[in-house]
Amino acid sequence: MVALDPATLINVLLIAISGTLVCIAVHFIPVGGAPAAMAQATGIGTGTVELAAGSGLVGLITASAMYAIPSVQSDPNVMALVLAAGAMGSMIMIASTMLSGSLIYAYGVGVPFASAQVKKDPITGARQDLYMSKGTQGQGLPTVCFVSGIIGAALGGIGGALIYYVLVGIYSTSTLIGGSAAAVAGVFTMGVFYVNSVVPSYGVGGTIEGFHDPKFRRVLPKDAVTSFVVSALCGILAILIAGGF
Amino acid sequence: MSDIKEIPPNTLMAFGIVGGLLGIYLTYILPLAGDAVGGPVKDLLTTIAPAAGALGGMCAIVWGAEAVRRVAKYGLGTGVPSIGQIAMGMGIVAAMFGLAIVKELTLAGPIVALVTASVIGLIIGWFAQNVIKMKIPVMIRCMTEIAAAGSLIIIGFSAAVAGTFEFSKLIPLVFDNGFMLAVFWVGAMALLHPFNAVLGPDEKQKRLLYLAFSTGAITMAVTGIAGIMTLGNAGIFTLLVGVVLWLIFYKKFWDEVYKDAAAVVGTGLIPKTEA
Amino acid sequence: MVLDLTMSMAILAFMGALATIAGCLEDLESDVGSQSNPNSQVQLAPQMGFLHRIYNKAVSGEPVSNGMSAVIGGTVTTVLLNEKFFVMTAIALGALVAALIYGIYATTSYAGRVASQARFKQPLYMDIMRYTTPSIIAHNFIVVFCLVSLAYIQAQILAPAHPFSIPFLALIWGITVGAIGSSVGDVHYGAEREYQNREFGCGLNTALSGRIVRRAESGLRNSIDNVWFCAKFGGPVTGIALGLTVFLSSWPTTVFGYTWLAIGVGIAIVVVMTILNRLLEVNVKNAYGPYKEEKNEKEASA
Repeated sequence: MVALDPATLINVLLIAISGTLVCIAVHFIPVGGAPAAMAQATGIGTGTVELAAGSGLVGLITASAMYAIPSVQSDPNVMALVLAAGAMGSMIMIASTMLSGSLIYAYGVGVPFASAQVKKDPITGARQDLYMSKGTQGQGLPTVCFVSGIIGAALGGIGGALIYYVLVGIYSTSTLIGGSAAAVAGVFTMGVFYVNSVVPSYGVGGTIEGFHDPKFRRVLPKDAVTSFVVSALCGILAILIAGGF
Repeated sequence: MSDIKEIPPNTLMAFGIVGGLLGIYLTYILPLAGDAVGGPVKDLLTTIAPAAGALGGMCAIVWGAEAVRRVAKYGLGTGVPSIGQIAMGMGIVAAMFGLAIVKELTLAGPIVALVTASVIGLIIGWFAQNVIKMKIPVMIRCMTEIAAAGSLIIIGFSAAVAGTFEFSKLIPLVFDNGFMLAVFWVGAMALLHPFNAVLGPDEKQKRLLYLAFSTGAITMAVTGIAGIMTLGNAGIFTLLVGVVLWLIFYKKFWDEVYKDAAAVVGTGLIPKTEA
Repeated sequence: MVLDLTMSMAILAFMGALATIAGCLEDLESDVGSQSNPNSQVQLAPQMGFLHRIYNKAVSGEPVSNGMSAVIGGTVTTVLLNEKFFVMTAIALGALVAALIYGIYATTSYAGRVASQARFKQPLYMDIMRYTTPSIIAHNFIVVFCLVSLAYIQAQILAPAHPFSIPFLALIWGITVGAIGSSVGDVHYGAEREYQNREFGCGLNTALSGRIVRRAESGLRNSIDNVWFCAKFGGPVTGIALGLTVFLSSWPTTVFGYTWLAIGVGIAIVVVMTILNRLLEVNVKNAYGPYKEEKNEKEASA
């Protein structure tokens, strides 16, 4: 078995932290579920798992592209650069999605944006309750939801990129995996990513408006703890695969 | 639904585990037996062996789809696909861990993977039930079952693409060219599509099981196509068996639909109702 | 192959165009099959006594199903490229196989869901099955063709090549196009087209759940009518979203190199989009006005 040296323990801790980052990111992204697709609730009209996974995986593409460059690998700040690349890809995907969604709400459905959870937008101070249409829980993407989504995407991109960075570093030095490190690390990143996207979606119950939603403070701690434990477990397994040889 | 006898969960679990492991081990053992015999028998056994792995994966898909049905009937709040994705995410990590960690004891690989996946599924199910408080009675048992089925699905279909489940051979044949993603994703869809597609108040287990066999056969056909590149003739054999099985079970599924639906009409206006 | 900046930019623009087409067609495919979130209303309608002639496709949500057809397309393309097929032929055949399998999944979903609604007397219309399924297959073919081409360009043409393989990249773009289509275009279908007989300019009142439009402008509403409408706005905007994602996530690193400057430019792009959203929000609020007046004034309807 692998000796419990400090480097391995740090790697397990990093994977656990990155899984938790992904979990926390899901709470930031404003998702309204099926009601939002009918302009019945604030947020993006899709499922929490889908959007978090989509943005995190675009971050994985940009992060792995960044890591594959030789000049980046020899850079002393390589980890920061790879994580930043992951965050950038993820943020661009969410921003494009949210902006286009706003266009549809504004001109396709013809509704102003309003949040159902706060009376005034915490960032811009605009009134929200006057602009909620009858019988709904808000609609569209007010600025606070947009900013919350960007923050969530950044965290998710960093989390996914960090898992990939740790695993590809370990696997490239493994005698068995060696040259296929990117492929194997990519597959495991996806697996750990999905586990950590589904856990918070169970906790959130399918819809959340962002960091201003009261649900946010309520469910974040227990979801984060679950993610930390599960990611640490998956991290131990993923590292042992390389260390076992 | 209450007057029709349903197949009990334990029977399907036995079917999934025994069928899955049998198929996986046959993929490994049949070529070795063929080597011992030699001649045309060797070629025959090497050609049909990977299909056994795919059939084992199909048994695991049927088991997993029924477990998804049991837990999703309580209303997961985030949709049926999420439980399939978490199971496959766990399944792939556990499966690869089990196959890689055993080093020379190759035959122990699938069993270790199955046990690991069940343990992780148990832990996540426990957290979901007691920490996140999902309040679904069968959550812990079903999460364990789905994770275990997920790991068997991945090992079974990877063995069908690579011809063996030795980890060192899986890397160049399944990971490098990206076929592992096909196994992962098409297998996940085969697991969670059946219940999602027959969701409704008049859902029947028989229809769901036929659909699960049918989606499993499609996965087998896709791994057969992948096998054409990695294995040659064995891939073509797996593809043909997959297509034949799909035709059989798709027809059976449609027979059930004709029996269960209120009316199957060529065309028509909307019937008058009380609303 | 080594590419200079002009060639890289040209290929990047081409990738953006492919992504735009893929995004648009993906959303239209989810409208012609009625998938994902608006489909919950189509599912609910018979329960409230509103029988309909709309295709009820529930293939596990758009990201998962589009990811599946993309990865099948990528797999078949990889196998054919290995057999030394010409690139365009390989991608086209891969997309064909993927679209056919996707069509099979769609038929099982429509048949299965309607059969499980037997107690509400919802009939299974075989003519809807027969002429909508080829439309679904055709839309999905174009989506998979564009996504696998995108993956092929990233994996084999761009320099430096991406470390992931064609099926992996196709899978990720398939999940992404599904997530974007589900977030953007489905709103146009769900909030607008499904309830077109309601007043324009408000969200859907919860009391109206399940009361979708079933009798159309001329004859009974079906999914082909729905996609005709959504192709005018929802589809193209979804295409813009995916095109922006693909183009802008690769553009900074192509022009400014793999450095901190590129990261900074990427973040600046995100800030610009945030400001654009704020401008849109203010513009819309001023143009439409509130639904209710402040406290002691009379309640004005929208």
